[in-house]
Amino acid sequence: MKKEDTVKLISAEGFEFVVHKDAAMVSQTIRNMLTSPGGFAETEHGEVTFPEISTTILEKICKYFYWNLQFASGKQTEFHIEPELTLELMMAANYLHT
Amino acid sequence: METQLVDLCLKAACESRDSVEKWRRQRRSLEHLPSQLADALLRRLISRYLLFPSLLEVFKHSAEEIDLRGDNNVDAEWFAYIGAFRHLRSLNVSGCRKLTSSALWAVAGMRSLREMDLSRCSKVNDAGIRHLSSVTTLEKLWISETGVSAKGVMLLSSLGNLSVLDLGGLPVTDQALSSLQVLTKLQYLDLWGSNISDKGAALLHMFPRLSFLNLAWTSVTKLPNWLTLECLNMSNCTINLLEGDNGKAPLVKLIVSGATFGEEVADFHYIETTLLTFLDLSKSTILDFSFLSHLNALEHLDLSSTVIGDDSLQLIACIGVNLKYLNLNNTKVSSAGVGNLTGHVPNLQVLSISHTSVDDVTISYIGMMPSLKVIDLSNTNIKGVIYQAETVPVPVREPEPEPEPEHEHEPESVSVLSMSALQSLRHLERLNLADTQVMDAALYPLTSFPKLSHLSLKSASLTDISLNYVSSISKLTNVCIHDGVLTNSGLNSFKPPATLRMMDLRGCWLLTEDVITSFSKTHPQIEVWHDLVHISRSNQTVSNTAPSSRSTLRTSQVKKKHESIPMLECFLDQRLKYSREELLSMQFSSVSLAASIDSGIGICNTQSD
Repeated sequence: MKKEDTVKLISAEGFEFVVHKDAAMVSQTIRNMLTSPGGFAETEHGEVTFPEISTTILEKICKYFYWNLQFASGKQTEFHIEPELTLELMMAANYLHT
Repeated sequence: METQLVDLCLKAACESRDSVEKWRRQRRSLEHLPSQLADALLRRLISRYLLFPSLLEVFKHSAEEIDLRGDNNVDAEWFAYIGAFRHLRSLNVSGCRKLTSSALWAVAGMRSLREMDLSRCSKVNDAGIRHLSSVTTLEKLWISETGVSAKGVMLLSSLGNLSVLDLGGLPVTDQALSSLQVLTKLQYLDLWGSNISDKGAALLHMFPRLSFLNLAWTSVTKLPNWLTLECLNMSNCTINLLEGDNGKAPLVKLIVSGATFGEEVADFHYIETTLLTFLDLSKSTILDFSFLSHLNALEHLDLSSTVIGDDSLQLIACIGVNLKYLNLNNTKVSSAGVGNLTGHVPNLQVLSISHTSVDDVTISYIGMMPSLKVIDLSNTNIKGVIYQAETVPVPVREPEPEPEPEHEHEPESVSVLSMSALQSLRHLERLNLADTQVMDAALYPLTSFPKLSHLSLKSASLTDISLNYVSSISKLTNVCIHDGVLTNSGLNSFKPPATLRMMDLRGCWLLTEDVITSFSKTHPQIEVWHDLVHISRSNQTVSNTAPSSRSTLRTSQVKKKHESIPMLECFLDQRLKYSREELLSMQFSSVSLAASIDSGIGICNTQSD
């Protein structure tokens, strides 16, 4: 995995998730951050910090990114969401526009 | 619109009672829930029947909309929680029949409420309105068909922000209406079935912004005519005079269905002809239709059950350019009249000429109306076949020669299938041929209709051959074949189009319950209706439609009886067992037996006769 193909997503607690750019760009919000020409700090360092999203939720979000890519390529599996996570995950998904 | 992951979360959150319990204690998250997510979650809970009063409490900081329409559980306890919602903007409890006036007390202090729908809450009366009258933020209020009296209506005068007010079916008097004159922001006022007279109607032009007015089923005789009015409904009124200034009202929509017109107003001279797009004259007493020729903007015209005849259709042809909907049901219109329209209605999408004397010649005219999507030809003289030997006028477009289906019984007469004239209609989606003289063979051209999705047939001369044709209509989703003599073996060998979702076979009295049941087991995607059995698509629950089997006890008894009678196969083909006369005499008895206590026994009786 080359560094320029990846992006680092950092949770509220400081945990870092390194994911493919393709996967992260499932989120419209992240896509805008990484591709906007305005020179976001995020674009330069390939790092995005989410002070509002906890580690558990961010991990779930990353899993969803990859599930979404697989789903789009025709692999139809179920994405299981634990009921306990629904509210937080819903809000994060709403913010990330994914 | 929710994004995909939000949607998955909503689904997971509303999976079951247990999943709700998993998140309902997460107070901090619930308090921070954005309103559009809270509203979406509430909607989902309501549609999954998972909402109960104390669960409402967790939404009090977030939700802006609650739609509980038709929920008969909603009562004062629900409202006790709803009253605590800080940001509630819209509350719909229409048709919640258990709701009482005292429950509305909880709403009294609310500061955010803009819209409230209490329609058909029959237990809500003047006392309830008293509670509401303090909610001065209200902009839209629906209280039609509640128990509110004229006195209660007067209390609404404190709601100065109202722009929409529905008082339909309430005994509103002239006096009550005059006390509402302070509601100067009113744009929409519904007064159908009220006790308003001309005196009260004269006050209506005091509402400076009023653009929608419904006076249907009142004793108002003067047609309001002032310069803000865009939409007027005076159905079932007796209209004799004009009310208001002599200018022309900018009416866009006029509904005068069932109205009786006096001479002075019957010519519609007061209408701004360039604006009117929607005109419903059905069942009205209009005799002279010459005014139609000025209504150039018309898109929707309903003339059903009027005295209009072929000569007046010429007038419609003059203004047909924009016409999208035309209803001529139950009129004296004949095929020749319909011929006047061809070439003049390029945008017509819906044409309804049921209960008229039109015949197969009409079909060739209809075939030249290029935008048609919906055609209703039920209860007409349509045969689907034109015999050249007969002296019928030659249709303008010659249909294709008949491709000789193998069951043709009249080899000597030269006939063409009239329905083939419709093959040129590329957009045709719905076709109603119920109660016509259409036979099996006439349906052959339908198989090549590119977009036909809804087909209705009702005739005792339809047999299994019709099913054959139905199976080759590629886009068909809904089909009704009522009263046909379809047989069990015909249904067994029927290969439905892949798109078919609903099949209505009511009145096909030769079919038996077990054959229908096994048919829908093989085709679980199709919802099947029949007098003996109704199988819905979603959950595959089989219900005996005739008896409302509310108690599971009774259904289990029926099942037991079924099991105790062996040799169910013996009535697979009843035609073999009975003569034609016997079958005809049983036609009605089987239906009436099915309507009796339970259908299982009904069939057995018929068998043992």
